[in-house]
Amino acid sequence: METANHLIRPEFLSLGADQIHALMPYFVAFAGCLVTLLLSVIRSVNPKWPVLLGTVATCVAASVLSIEQIREPSLSLFNGMMVSDSFSAFFNTVFLATAGMTALASFRYLDRERLQHTEYYVLLLFSALGMMLMTSALDLIVVFIALEIMSLAVYVLVGFRRADRRSNEAAMKYFILGSAASAVFLYGSALLYGATGSLNLREILAVLQSHPEGMSPIFTLGSWLVLLGFLFKVASVPFHMWMPDVYEGAPVPVTGFMTTGLKAAAFATLVRLFLALGFGKAVASTLQQHVHDILWVVAVLTMLVGNVVALTQTNLKRMLAYSSIAHTGYLLVGLLAGGGSDQGFSAVVMYLTVYAIMNLGAFVVLSVLAEQGDTGLNLHDLSGLARRRPWIAFALAVFLFSMAGIPPTAGFAAKYLVFYSAIQAGEIWLVVLGVLCSAISVYYYLRVMVYMYMKEPVGSAAPSRVSFWAASVVAAMVVLTLQVGILPARLVHAAKKAVTSL
Amino acid sequence: MAWLDNHLLTAVVFLPLLWALVGLLVPGGDKSAGARKAWTLLGSFATFGLSFLLYDRFQAGGAEFQLMEKAPWIEAMGISYSLGVDGISLWLMLLTTFLTPIVILASFTAVEERQKEYYFLLLALETAMLGAFVATDVFLFYVFWEAMLIPMYFLVGIWGGKDRIYAAMKFFLYTLVGSLLMLVAIFYLAYQHKLQFGTYSTALVDLYNLRLPGEGWLSVQAILFLAFSLAFAIKVPLFPLHTWLPDAHVQAPTAGSVILAGVLLKMGGYGFIRLAFPLFPQAVAQYQVAFMILAAIAIVYGAWVATVQPDIKKLVAYSSVSHMGYVVLGLFSLNAIGATGAIYQMLNHGISTGGLFLLVGMIYERRHTREIKDFGGITKVMPLFAVAFMIVTLSSVALPGTNGFVGEFLILLGAWKTSPGLAAISALGVIFGAVYMLWMFQRVMFGPLDKEENKKLKDLSFREVLVLLPLIVAIFAMGVAPNFFFRKMESSVDSFLRRAQRAAVVTPVAANTIEGKN
Repeated sequence: METANHLIRPEFLSLGADQIHALMPYFVAFAGCLVTLLLSVIRSVNPKWPVLLGTVATCVAASVLSIEQIREPSLSLFNGMMVSDSFSAFFNTVFLATAGMTALASFRYLDRERLQHTEYYVLLLFSALGMMLMTSALDLIVVFIALEIMSLAVYVLVGFRRADRRSNEAAMKYFILGSAASAVFLYGSALLYGATGSLNLREILAVLQSHPEGMSPIFTLGSWLVLLGFLFKVASVPFHMWMPDVYEGAPVPVTGFMTTGLKAAAFATLVRLFLALGFGKAVASTLQQHVHDILWVVAVLTMLVGNVVALTQTNLKRMLAYSSIAHTGYLLVGLLAGGGSDQGFSAVVMYLTVYAIMNLGAFVVLSVLAEQGDTGLNLHDLSGLARRRPWIAFALAVFLFSMAGIPPTAGFAAKYLVFYSAIQAGEIWLVVLGVLCSAISVYYYLRVMVYMYMKEPVGSAAPSRVSFWAASVVAAMVVLTLQVGILPARLVHAAKKAVTSL
Repeated sequence: MAWLDNHLLTAVVFLPLLWALVGLLVPGGDKSAGARKAWTLLGSFATFGLSFLLYDRFQAGGAEFQLMEKAPWIEAMGISYSLGVDGISLWLMLLTTFLTPIVILASFTAVEERQKEYYFLLLALETAMLGAFVATDVFLFYVFWEAMLIPMYFLVGIWGGKDRIYAAMKFFLYTLVGSLLMLVAIFYLAYQHKLQFGTYSTALVDLYNLRLPGEGWLSVQAILFLAFSLAFAIKVPLFPLHTWLPDAHVQAPTAGSVILAGVLLKMGGYGFIRLAFPLFPQAVAQYQVAFMILAAIAIVYGAWVATVQPDIKKLVAYSSVSHMGYVVLGLFSLNAIGATGAIYQMLNHGISTGGLFLLVGMIYERRHTREIKDFGGITKVMPLFAVAFMIVTLSSVALPGTNGFVGEFLILLGAWKTSPGLAAISALGVIFGAVYMLWMFQRVMFGPLDKEENKKLKDLSFREVLVLLPLIVAIFAMGVAPNFFFRKMESSVDSFLRRAQRAAVVTPVAANTIEGKN
């Protein structure tokens, strides 16, 4: 015992009351993971209901705890390896809400596709936990571990339709390429460790600041590789090739979860890395110039390729996959501008939240519309949808208008903030290119409208019933999309508050 | 009532939308069609009535913007919900609230499918249009400006003609591309306000105070001016950006065409008046002649193209290009006569072209064709229709005594003061206008009644007379008593010109901030 006490520094183990309080959302989420895992082996009754309820209850409880923490001051945890601040609390809420709603909206889908319920919900929870840890990490190793918790769960979810070859292919592709990206990230972290002697972001920043003349090439290479790993995860061009196949092969609700939760987690972590390393604050200006130039090119390519390729898609799921690439481009614009504008990275935070809302809604609609085996999502299948199912068509129209950035929807407010902050950062050409790309995007969003509203219905028999839960999720997302579009002030304020806590 | 006194503009703007939302409670289907029509018509009348209250409260010669309302909206970016009306937007609002009941009444028999959505969209469109006319915050203006596209897109795309989808898509994308570049310019202006005054604001009255370098063809002012002008010139539409208009006008249902021609095109002219001119006075002076030349081309070219159209509706659409060219010509004359004429012409065009589209719609409902060659001698079977058609046609060719004459005369007078050569060329447009309108009228209405189908045509019904009568009254009222309309307009035109002609002094500070921010 004596020796053990010497080896383990007491501050590693003892948690103060305030730290326990700050960790409560994580504890609740983790406990939820374990409990649902246990519940899923019940054999006396069908476990799908208890597990669903457990999952949703966990998400609700943990997000209520997170919402309370948005107002609290930031607190360093585990010897500076993690931090609990408004930023992490804000995003924890987003992740948990996304996971909970995905679980709710998937219930009927899983029934229809005859898939296992229980594992699905447990994996959703685990990946949400990974996201939460990732955005609150201040240490590259913790980032890596959290990234893997999140990714591994999602690899399985992507391949969840075991009997379907496309789903298998998607899972395989995603697993191999995702692992490669993780390896690149890890290699970059190792180089950073070699250059600075630490994996802790604050210590790396201290080293950076003590070398105003610039860092060694090893450091530069390391930071590029870390950035590259993330650019891969968010599917920015030219690292996007995996994404349409994966999005198309994955079960529809999982695709929705990936485009919202996963993307938000990766971007939130990038924002934290950028801010923690003083991006935009005149630290190591040559490196910053490099990162800026790389991101500039990647952002333009991402917006352009995503939108142009989406133009030619006739499958709704694939179209939204490419449009998701385009939205990554807008987010990169916000990331690029964050350092140089008064709004800071709050534009990115706002955009991520809004994108999560509208995209989650759109994918829930898709999962309602999809027929056995995720078919029936081609554009011509939507012909006359407005007559057959007016409310579903209306909801999808709201989400698509919002993605196109047409007021008075949330997408407009978010795009406004992103491009406005880019103008403040002096990126006029980037903004001009960005708005032109978003003009391109309007065409393919409107084309869906053409099929839904302006074409005659095609033969389809009586539509399948929409589950109450899926309908509530869609309705909530429609209300949020319009509410944030008409009265965005509160979300803008919350996003700003989250970012200033960093 | 106290609330109404302080929020009259909000009430006028949002009444139609609110009315439409309540109207959604009326169940769909044919059984409740009557109730739905009555409800919608009542709503548009209520808005029209409320806008009269507005007219009453507006003081001629009073403050520049009146009945102002202001509430914080997105404080972090200085965006506020601020409304205000001046003598120019007052008349455009009245035009909007005046035309809406007319088009609703005109749609009663024309639209049989999906009436619930149709009437909802019409009223929602009215809210967006009214909002754009009274917004005094650029962000708010932009929101209404773009939101307007959605209902119009569906109106054209769902209830339009054969090529409706192509036309709706073209209309939406064309307008949007222009608007998006304007949005970039708005970002820039908003940020300049922060740089120059230290606070965020997107309120128009604040942005008017910006000092932007304006020397040369590609100065900051000039680039911003061109970005705004692109949006407005597409909407007007100014040659050579007019190609969306014939498609949209021809394919749109009658109500859509009337609103497009009557109000949406006015948005372009109004945008020049409210935003482009006062914000960038030096750039306006720089590009004055260029725009006047484009306007003159639009006047003559639009008239020529209209002359050879085989389709009546297309002819009317191209006549819009010509008539709206006068508006741009008058505005860019940069004098009180030209500007007053331009604003007057906007109102005229709304009434006379709106009337023409309604008449074309009425005959199309009877014959399901709009080809000029399918008609001839219609006067014999439809005398009432012939009288109405004649009056509106004469208004369109600017016969003295009708509204068209006042507008075009003033514009040409104003243009003459600035550029006699261009005024002379544009005056040819008046002659060409008479040529294509009267020639069309002759081929459709006179001559032998030699087509079998035309012999059984029914004359105007009582409802159709009700639709056309207000327009005809307006044509004569505006033709013989223009001073009544000018009275509440004059001081606003003066302050518009004062802003548009002010010599902006470029302070070195502003120049530096712009250089540094690149």
